[in-house]
Amino acid sequence: MYIVRMDESITPNKISSDLLRGHTDTMILKLLLSGDKYGYEISKLIHAISNGEYELKEATMYSSLKRLENDDCITSYWGDETQGGRRRYYRITEKGKELYFENKNSWEYAKRVLDNLL
Amino acid sequence: MNEKLDQYLNGVFAPYDGVKSVAELKADLLSDLQERFLELKAEGKDDETAFEMTIDSIGDIEQTVQEVANLSRSLERQVLTNFSASNLTKSDFAGVTAHKGKFEASALRGSDFAGADLTGSSFKSSDVREANFDSTNLTDCTLYVSDLTDASFNKSILVRTEFNTSELTRAKFTNVKLIDVKLNMIDLRETIFENCIFNGVDFKYCDLRGMCLDGLTFIGVKFDKTSLNEAKFKGATLRNVSFLAPFTWSTWSKKYYRAIKTISFDGATMDKLTYAALKGMEADLSKVTVI
Repeated sequence: MYIVRMDESITPNKISSDLLRGHTDTMILKLLLSGDKYGYEISKLIHAISNGEYELKEATMYSSLKRLENDDCITSYWGDETQGGRRRYYRITEKGKELYFENKNSWEYAKRVLDNLL
Repeated sequence: MNEKLDQYLNGVFAPYDGVKSVAELKADLLSDLQERFLELKAEGKDDETAFEMTIDSIGDIEQTVQEVANLSRSLERQVLTNFSASNLTKSDFAGVTAHKGKFEASALRGSDFAGADLTGSSFKSSDVREANFDSTNLTDCTLYVSDLTDASFNKSILVRTEFNTSELTRAKFTNVKLIDVKLNMIDLRETIFENCIFNGVDFKYCDLRGMCLDGLTFIGVKFDKTSLNEAKFKGATLRNVSFLAPFTWSTWSKKYYRAIKTISFDGATMDKLTYAALKGMEADLSKVTVI
């Protein structure tokens, strides 16, 4: 079930929107570290883990997924669902894991610098 | 299964029919949207609200589809360059006459066709990178699914030439009159057009986003289902040019009109027909001269 926080929420401006969108690849890689997932599952989890503060649009998510797959950071396969349509599941590769840790470190560094300066 | 969602996506993805990777994206997206819709209904939302919220969760899918389509085209071509029925790399065809020649699945990289008469010839699935087509007669030629990266077309004769689904990155068209030429489904953002006249040219499904088309002449040209966001037509001449939106779905047209508004027509000259059509789409025509 979705819980959307409507009270005292900070309205995102362009800077924060771009910042969040720029880290979509890393967000997805982290989720896949804990196991293979399919599209809708990924966007639902991101919404939930961000406590409803971030809604990842399908378009943004698929841009990331296709890019990551093209760069061999993730692979995909059809799951065999019995309830209706088949779903495409995504799995992180070794290269993807390396990229995740690289990006995470870059973010920690940037966060540290900005926290001091802003 | 929600029929409306399926129909909505069909409308959005129709221009890319036949591009396999885009069809896969559409299927994955539809599956996500169906599940989201069902969950929203289960939360007690009515059909209309659930539908609107589901569509709203899509975001700017047009950009994603373009990216995926561009990606797959470049991949297809990588496979094709390794499959050559004839190895004619760096061949010298300068000045030859070869009517209705068939250059299919051939390796023609760096070949010289300068001044040749290739009327009615076809280049299908060929590697024609860095080829020289200066002053070549390419009347009625078809260059289909071929790699023409870095090819040179200086003063080439291009009448009814078809460049469908080919790669034209960094291809140079200088001092050329393109007459009734078809440029379909091509990413033209890095193609160079200098001192060219486009007469009756069809740019269907092409990607011209952000392109500089300053000072060029467009007569009877069709920009149907063409991506033109942020394109520049400064000082260009437009006569009888048509800009058709991909679809009649109102939300899709609104997006297209938004794209039209980002085009720069400053200093351009256009006839009443073109002016009226663009005015209707709320383009910025404040610095345009009507002839």
